[in-house]
Amino acid sequence: MRSPYRAMLRSPLVIVVSVAVVWFIASFLVFPNVNLLVTTFFPGGQFSGRSVEKLLSSERAMTSLWHSLLLAITLSITVNVVGIFIVLVTKYFEIRGARVLFLGYATTLIYGGIVLAAGYNFIYGRYGFITAAVQNVFPDIDPNWFSGYFAVVIVMTFATTTNHMLFLSSALAKIDYQTIEAARNMGASTGRILWRIVLPALRPMIFAVTVLTFLIGLGALTAPIVLGGTDFQTIAPMILTFSKSSSSRDLAALLAIILGLATIIVLAVMNRVEKSGVYFSVAKVATPLQKQRIRNPLAAVVVNVVSWLLFVVYAAPVLLIVMFSFLDSTAVITGTIALSDFTLANYGTVLGTPAVLRPFIVSVVYSALASLIVVGGLLFVARVIQKYRNRFTTTLEYLLHIPWILPTILIALALIMSFDKPSPLVGGAVLTGTTVILLVAYIVVKVPFTLRLLKAGFASIPDSLEDAARILGAKSLFTFRRVLFPLVLPTAAAITALNFNSLLDDYDAAVFLYHPLYEPLGIAIKASTEGENNLDSMSITFVYTVLLMIIMAITMYLVYGRSAQLRTRKAHGRRTRGIRVAQIPTRAPVGHAPDERR
Amino acid sequence: MRTRTLPAAVTVLVATSLALAGCAPAAESGGSESGGGEPGGTLIVYTNSNSDGRGEWVTAQAKEAGIDIEIVGLGGADLANRIVAEKNNPVGDVVFGLNNMFFETLKSEEAITAYEPAWAGEVDEAAGDPDDGVYWPLVEQAIVTVYDTNTVDAADVPDSVADLWNEDKYKGRYEVNTVLGQATPQLILAGLLSDYEDEDGDLGISDKGWNQVKGYFQNGSPAVEGTDLYARLSRGDVDYGAIPSSGIASRDAEYGTVTGVVGADDGVPYVTEQISVITGTKKETAAQEFIDWFGSSEVQGEFAQEFSSYPVNTVAREQALPAVVELMESLPKQELDFALIRENISGWVEKTELEYLP
Repeated sequence: MRSPYRAMLRSPLVIVVSVAVVWFIASFLVFPNVNLLVTTFFPGGQFSGRSVEKLLSSERAMTSLWHSLLLAITLSITVNVVGIFIVLVTKYFEIRGARVLFLGYATTLIYGGIVLAAGYNFIYGRYGFITAAVQNVFPDIDPNWFSGYFAVVIVMTFATTTNHMLFLSSALAKIDYQTIEAARNMGASTGRILWRIVLPALRPMIFAVTVLTFLIGLGALTAPIVLGGTDFQTIAPMILTFSKSSSSRDLAALLAIILGLATIIVLAVMNRVEKSGVYFSVAKVATPLQKQRIRNPLAAVVVNVVSWLLFVVYAAPVLLIVMFSFLDSTAVITGTIALSDFTLANYGTVLGTPAVLRPFIVSVVYSALASLIVVGGLLFVARVIQKYRNRFTTTLEYLLHIPWILPTILIALALIMSFDKPSPLVGGAVLTGTTVILLVAYIVVKVPFTLRLLKAGFASIPDSLEDAARILGAKSLFTFRRVLFPLVLPTAAAITALNFNSLLDDYDAAVFLYHPLYEPLGIAIKASTEGENNLDSMSITFVYTVLLMIIMAITMYLVYGRSAQLRTRKAHGRRTRGIRVAQIPTRAPVGHAPDERR
Repeated sequence: MRTRTLPAAVTVLVATSLALAGCAPAAESGGSESGGGEPGGTLIVYTNSNSDGRGEWVTAQAKEAGIDIEIVGLGGADLANRIVAEKNNPVGDVVFGLNNMFFETLKSEEAITAYEPAWAGEVDEAAGDPDDGVYWPLVEQAIVTVYDTNTVDAADVPDSVADLWNEDKYKGRYEVNTVLGQATPQLILAGLLSDYEDEDGDLGISDKGWNQVKGYFQNGSPAVEGTDLYARLSRGDVDYGAIPSSGIASRDAEYGTVTGVVGADDGVPYVTEQISVITGTKKETAAQEFIDWFGSSEVQGEFAQEFSSYPVNTVAREQALPAVVELMESLPKQELDFALIRENISGWVEKTELEYLP
């Protein structure tokens, strides 16, 4: 049964949130992008269907499009397999050195893009040392063995387990341990418990991260460029080229919309599955999860070996990048590294540049503001959307995904062109050329990701908690602050940190929107690595990456590590002080009591 | 109690960001509408020619001359897009460094305004915009196909660039840049197609011309993101590749190569970097002053010595490095019709991207 609109109107908080989100969607998601799409597809007021024709007749475009889809589908499977595995070995099973393993797997949190692809290339690529080592044994092996579909899938699989690490881990921590104990008492095997109890409980979060993975696959840009070779090129580079040319922009928009539709389909399927399968537990007492021993000795050995192999795969590129940042660039390129090649010159170049600190500060401020605003605002929106399911909220939800459909470049251009004159939507202000517009763009591009994960976070909170608070006389804002917020905090903190990290070195939005006096980091990095006479560009990228890694690691520690400690403290308190309403653990999927909302 | 401790981390982050926002230079108030804003203050200079320390050099020299500038340095295509998108409310005041193609686009979008600089008499008008004088030339570059004379035998070097894709023995031995959003690959494409003008052909180019493009990309080895052409030359990945002439000297020094240049039947494509006032700037006088200063023979001469450029300004050219002058004078110039190229280049790029790239 759908919730009647009347229930929504009864809460002033919901009304305020609805008005705010409608204004935001209208001003920053719909108006600019529709504006851009209209000028793109209706040049001179006439609809132009030439883009469809052009694309259909281009074999290259169709192949690339297929490759992107194929990659997205493949990754949805491979990333889930690897992602779930690493979450289980670090958080569910008793494995010696789980903390070290966790640190190794967590390296993907702090780097990506060209640096990551380059790191893999230096290991497995034509001139990589694994290739060289293998060639010593098998001289006939093709030095280009690490390229094409296979290489792209491998690299991207290991590079994109970040969301699993953060969000699946936190969902796993909420599982009611009593259900596992009960199952074991009834004689269920380790595998059966995993399959029938643990994984089903993780389903909403698995769906959420699968959508994200699918999207990452569709938008894959650098890994295919660097490792795809001529056989496996994806559509993203083509979209990038076309969005930069005003006359080809319709092609870019059309391609982006095709990818967007694919995403929406996956999203809709996931939403349906999620709705039909979610059950809430009636358990009011929960015991925190205890790590499980793997009883089958053979299985234990296999799991241990695979875990540590993965650890090496994950950690090697990072160590290499740190090492390369201290190396002379010719040594890196030629691959002959001697002790004398180690140098601090790269750091000297970067840190010796006048005002090098400024872009860092600018980017930290922008990223922090944007990620806090987007998470803070969407906390309310996600709850409203998740709690009241009706046509209005469903529409809102889909509209909030608009930024996933269009590439960042088009979103940025749409903002410039739509706010270059006083607009009543923003109180008659002109945003183009101000410091605000980049912040707006950063918030906009982070909306869908944040919403998806927050919604999944809220999905695990039973309505009964809110009802109980209301019956006890709590006002809605109070309930939100004291009852709901603490429960989604770990998820919200992790999202904030991830948003912050991903915005730090943004280039696509900044290039069009940054204020001349506030140069962000992405622009500064690009400027320092470009140039006809700049031959150390790769080394300089490595230095920036190391510096970024440091900032990001600090962020992760502050936001995520700290909140994890908070959670441990709470769990501890639960054992010693008994339970309060707000601490009732979320849900244990015993699968008995159906969601009371339907 | 528990809820008070809130996300300690989030609080810390808020506090830090506020603090940092506080330290950030306090231009928030005036800054919010700088650029095209009030007449006084810093001149915002848009350029794609700020790398290798050029941006810092220009800023410092301008300051000495009493002009306060802030450089906004972006890649060519991005910069042109940004200027066009901002044309109703411009942020920048002056733009320089983009090539003729981009300046033609800016001109047709009316994003730049005509101004005759004080040094107009010292440059060859044909290198700029001889019809309307909207933009004016600063420095010239040739896009040349190079090889390392240490590794490539002189007898093997093709007589003409076109042999690379027309003869089987060079298949896969020369680098092609496939990132067609960038200026240099676009210019190479334009250079390839310009000789095959045909009113009846697709996008004004004969089938023969399109076959050249097809051959060029199919037989080439695509550039590797993040790997310099000379790195590939020195480890034997490829033997030939295209590069702007100003990048040769520093690479020879770095990689120990001795660069040779492959000849071309119709000459090599030249780019001329231009300068102009951005339409709608509120600092038009200051912008014009900057142009008069930066394009003057004195500044261009110093710039040429500092960054081995080849100035269009004939007086400044006397100060250019002898090696640069020698190289540039040895390269015959391909005649390119930039108005035609401007009109068609995006169509050409689109067709190439859709049909011919590997």
